Amino acid sequence: MTKPTVASDWLCGCAGCHMSILDIDERILQIVELVDLRATPITDLKEPDEGGVTVGILEGGINNTYNEEVAKKMRARCKILVALGDCAVFGGVPAMRNFFGEKAALQRAYVDAESNDAEAMIPVNPELAEMTHVRAVHEVVPVDLHIPGCPPDPDVIFYALAELAQGRIPEIKDEKLHWH
Amino acid sequence: MIKLTIDGKTIEVNEGTTVLQAAENADIYIPTLCHHPQLTPYGGCRMCMVEIEGARTLQPSCTLPASDGMVIRTNTEKIIAARKFVLTLIFSERNHFCMYCPVSDGDCELQNRAYDEDMTHWDLQPNWLPFEVDASHPFIVLDNNRCILCRRCVRACDDLVGNYTLGFEERGANSLLVADYNVPLGESTCISCGTCVQICPTGALIDRQSAYQGKETEVDHHLGVCVECSVGCQRDVLTRDNRLVRIEGDWDAPLNNGLLCEKGRFLPLEDDRLRILTPMVRKNDQLKAATWDEALNAIADGLSNSGKLAALASSRLPAEDLSLFKSLFKDGLGADLVTTLDESFPLPMDKVKSKIGISIEYGLDNLKDTDSVLCLGADLLSDHQVAGFFVKRQLLGGTKLIVVDSHKNALADFASQTQSLEAGNEIKFLESLISAFENSSEDPDLNQMVNSIKEAQKPCIVVGASFAKGIDETTFQSLIEIAEKFGAALISIQGKANSYASAELGLTQLINLKDYQSALVLLSDEEPTQKLAKSLEQIPFVVIQATYSSQVTANADVVLPVTMWAEQSGTYVNLDGRRQKAVKALDAPDGILTSFEALQKIADVLNIETDIDWEAELVK
Repeated sequence: MTKPTVASDWLCGCAGCHMSILDIDERILQIVELVDLRATPITDLKEPDEGGVTVGILEGGINNTYNEEVAKKMRARCKILVALGDCAVFGGVPAMRNFFGEKAALQRAYVDAESNDAEAMIPVNPELAEMTHVRAVHEVVPVDLHIPGCPPDPDVIFYALAELAQGRIPEIKDEKLHWH
Repeated sequence: MIKLTIDGKTIEVNEGTTVLQAAENADIYIPTLCHHPQLTPYGGCRMCMVEIEGARTLQPSCTLPASDGMVIRTNTEKIIAARKFVLTLIFSERNHFCMYCPVSDGDCELQNRAYDEDMTHWDLQPNWLPFEVDASHPFIVLDNNRCILCRRCVRACDDLVGNYTLGFEERGANSLLVADYNVPLGESTCISCGTCVQICPTGALIDRQSAYQGKETEVDHHLGVCVECSVGCQRDVLTRDNRLVRIEGDWDAPLNNGLLCEKGRFLPLEDDRLRILTPMVRKNDQLKAATWDEALNAIADGLSNSGKLAALASSRLPAEDLSLFKSLFKDGLGADLVTTLDESFPLPMDKVKSKIGISIEYGLDNLKDTDSVLCLGADLLSDHQVAGFFVKRQLLGGTKLIVVDSHKNALADFASQTQSLEAGNEIKFLESLISAFENSSEDPDLNQMVNSIKEAQKPCIVVGASFAKGIDETTFQSLIEIAEKFGAALISIQGKANSYASAELGLTQLINLKDYQSALVLLSDEEPTQKLAKSLEQIPFVVIQATYSSQVTANADVVLPVTMWAEQSGTYVNLDGRRQKAVKALDAPDGILTSFEALQKIADVLNIETDIDWEAELVK
């Protein structure tokens, strides 16, 4: 029997949830015994296999057109999509800017910030993705499993990965359920 | 009795019981949000929905009266789905992103309800409607973004405190919690009692002192009596790593039911007085750090002169300390003056009562359902505030308030009748009150006053410090007679946390330090008055036991460093005679003793045996 395959990617997050994946420490060896770890942002392969993976994991909310693309690609290529961490589940800290709007956020960061000089300007380039409201992953593509937390506890991540690796859907509740 | 079935369990309850209460009686848990045991059921949040057999829709259990034969289910799939939907609506309405919030992960009732329902996320998109945060108040931050519109704060401000500061503006999703007519909270009529913060289920009202300082899982609780005045509110002192985090009222306390005032809740955490950390002895006219032994020997030397000795103690000290103080200085040393720093003395009601053999009510509880209050020199808005809340919250319900005072009295603004009195005329006033009671007076105001007490079902007479100063014990007895005639409860509302115990111990002489040679003052953490500082200046040898540095300690000959309120335990007797415990919440810094331990050391160095059966001296 072939091992289930897992791919992950990060969107508008801080990489903290991936750090929390690494914080399962030596238990990652148990995970790779059970699954074939494919593309991740911290390994060489960056995109989920065209042929598809069993589990896709997304960290971060969706804050521009590029993130939308990545989320849609992951959704298209995985059987079970996991939203990992508060940003993927709710929008998280980046979603704070939704209360002010994208324009005001850009103006503050690129023009008005005290550290900017007189020539400061909002970057304009057709190569740049278009900024949007920050959204939870499930607002853009259907999500099968939400693991909230800022970041989710390594023990919860280990539990979830171990369950997924063995073909079960983890139950995130009681002491495993923490939003921060 | 009503018989009903909840989740297959048949129980009997009294008529008027709500379904929620009935479920609680049967140990069946129904989740709630807007409901609070100290408030009238409101039915605002729809968390407590239950299924009633025969009813068309789910019903809120908090407002639904139980009726005979009802068959109720509390945990069906339909109910669980409704709860999740309600939570989803609440979460998506405002900024309920938990990672921004100090009450997240344990201290938030909204989040806890979502955890209970195993909600890993919510399905609706948030509203992204921003509200301004009001951080204008010295202690409270009001953040409408986290408000769930349960109105607990508004109901607490109105119905528990009677201050009517908080209210709502606009409707629906735009509803805005505001102070007064939408002025910044810090400029409003708020009296900083903090009840709204304590009752808020989310982080919409947080206090600046404790926000982000420690969650429920990280703090220790110390339940004891407040020592800021003689009402005797029960409070919970929260600490973390030997540091004060927050003070909360005890919802289960029979007297204050969770209420505290600014003095009991917020101000103790604002204390920035300079702590005395070592004993000090005056040498060559300079106060120098010394060891305890050096300081105690200096006291023994200083007290060996033959002049008059005064011993003064703060009524903020526990009864054990006051009793040891009395035993050491009055019985042991035979000091010429042994008394407290109090400037007026509570009337020991139970003693006077038994002496003149009449029976009247004198408990603070009488204020909670009175329909007419005669306030004689008691400003319940400035002092003994929680007793003032009991009165204020009934005024809209028709309770009459009459204020008679020789001083400015903030309560006068709320009174139905006021009369200013010239200081010194208290006795005359009482006499005219008695005669107006017996055969109506020529003064229509006095008649009106007498009538509103006469006509009341449950009148109260409250005597405060500024009035009690002007009367002697005989007049006080006539006050008791008036109370008896009117069938009124008489509440003597004055003094510090343990003034009643001081009075029972007989420490009730007024201070006059003329011609005294030495004085020993147990100041503890009380802030000395200018008057005390001045009168101590004349005295050649002064010993001060104090927590904080002040003018009084700076001028002393020997200073002994002692604990502050949170570092000591002991017994307090409140103004209506309740005996309650203050509980140690913090460890004192190294080398600091409690006032009790310091007194014992003084007794030892003076070779005086002390008898400290303090309980025997207090009226049971």
